[in-house]
Amino acid sequence: MSVFLTTILTFFQSYGYPALWVSIFIAAVGVPLPVALVLLAAGAFAGLGDFNVFLLALVSITASVAGDTVGYLVGRKWGSRALDWLGRSRFGTRLFSPRAIVRSREEFNRRGGWAVFLTRFLVAALGGITNLIAGSELFPFRTFLACDIAGEVIGAVLPLSLGYAFGTSWEDVGDIFSQFSLLFLALLVAMLLFVRLLRYLRFARSIKRMEAARDIPATKSASRISPTHVSHLSHPSHAPHAPHAPHPSINPMIDPPTPSSGPLPGQ
Amino acid sequence: MTEKTVNTRAKLFGTGFLLCIAVGVTIFCGYQTYQAIQTFQKNHNLAVSGDVRTIRSWMTIPFIARVYHVPETYLYGALHINNAPSTRRDSLNTLAIHYNRPVNALIAQVQQVILAYRKQHPYHSSTLALRDRSPPTSRRMAE
Repeated sequence: MSVFLTTILTFFQSYGYPALWVSIFIAAVGVPLPVALVLLAAGAFAGLGDFNVFLLALVSITASVAGDTVGYLVGRKWGSRALDWLGRSRFGTRLFSPRAIVRSREEFNRRGGWAVFLTRFLVAALGGITNLIAGSELFPFRTFLACDIAGEVIGAVLPLSLGYAFGTSWEDVGDIFSQFSLLFLALLVAMLLFVRLLRYLRFARSIKRMEAARDIPATKSASRISPTHVSHLSHPSHAPHAPHAPHPSINPMIDPPTPSSGPLPGQ
Repeated sequence: MTEKTVNTRAKLFGTGFLLCIAVGVTIFCGYQTYQAIQTFQKNHNLAVSGDVRTIRSWMTIPFIARVYHVPETYLYGALHINNAPSTRRDSLNTLAIHYNRPVNALIAQVQQVILAYRKQHPYHSSTLALRDRSPPTSRRMAE
């Protein structure tokens, strides 16, 4: 058991609900504390009658929502300024292109709700940083709050009920929790890479097709040119009469079609 | 071969390489999760059967008393710990610091005390162990 966990549990056992509220609030603001394990332990204590499980859930949800809101507001106040500065300054534009910052904002506005919701219970380690990003990306506060509360309800009820049900084995349940969280993260990354790989493959194929389309008319036209034509062409006086020499920029067969898949992946 | 093709091919190989690593990590995490589930099953069975090896430093004396079915007063007396309201919420870890004892030694002492109590009261321990399988609320009511 880590020193952090032992300290928080001792604090919780000595001071009860206020200690739990403070620990969860600090963790929700962004300090990496093993709060899921504390909730599992709290559930185990509640199972033996030391604490009220409903009160524990209420304390946990209010503390985490308050902490998340503070994280969001910090991100909104200073994070968005930092992002604006990054977009304008020479140092920032070297690190991230302004286009990338705009795109990340658009992307977060589109899918940020899911990120907020899932990081409350499934990948809790990324919760604090997600709050800061949500604030700095100027994600709508109402949507943030709705997703946050929905996620935190699951994030509080799940470990509390598991701790309540399995009592003394809460540490092992916590191990399963953290391992499953890592597994989910690894699976997500693998899926994203797989999708990206498919896109690249499709793009590579379209390039190959374009190159093939460029090569075929060129060889055809080359085969149509007879030796006499070649002799004509080789003579500078006959050059204007070169019959079938196609100009790449005006021949529709040679002009490469733009890929239907849109812009280059990863650009 | 155009520059675009070379660029795409490099990206393709890079992504493929990263995907291989990600798949490897996923398999490793899956195996770790499976092992964690197995450890949980083993330890939970031990805890349900009242095995004293499952005593941990975060447990308080009242918690141990209820889980392992030993009277609190007996535990406090055998461990020479003052049964005051202030120490009731102290974990074994805190008690060990308070009484200047190593935590592992205190845990071992608690284990010995529980085993000694079970030897002295074989019938009482076995009936309580059977009751342990009932839900906590009914268990509390029965006590």
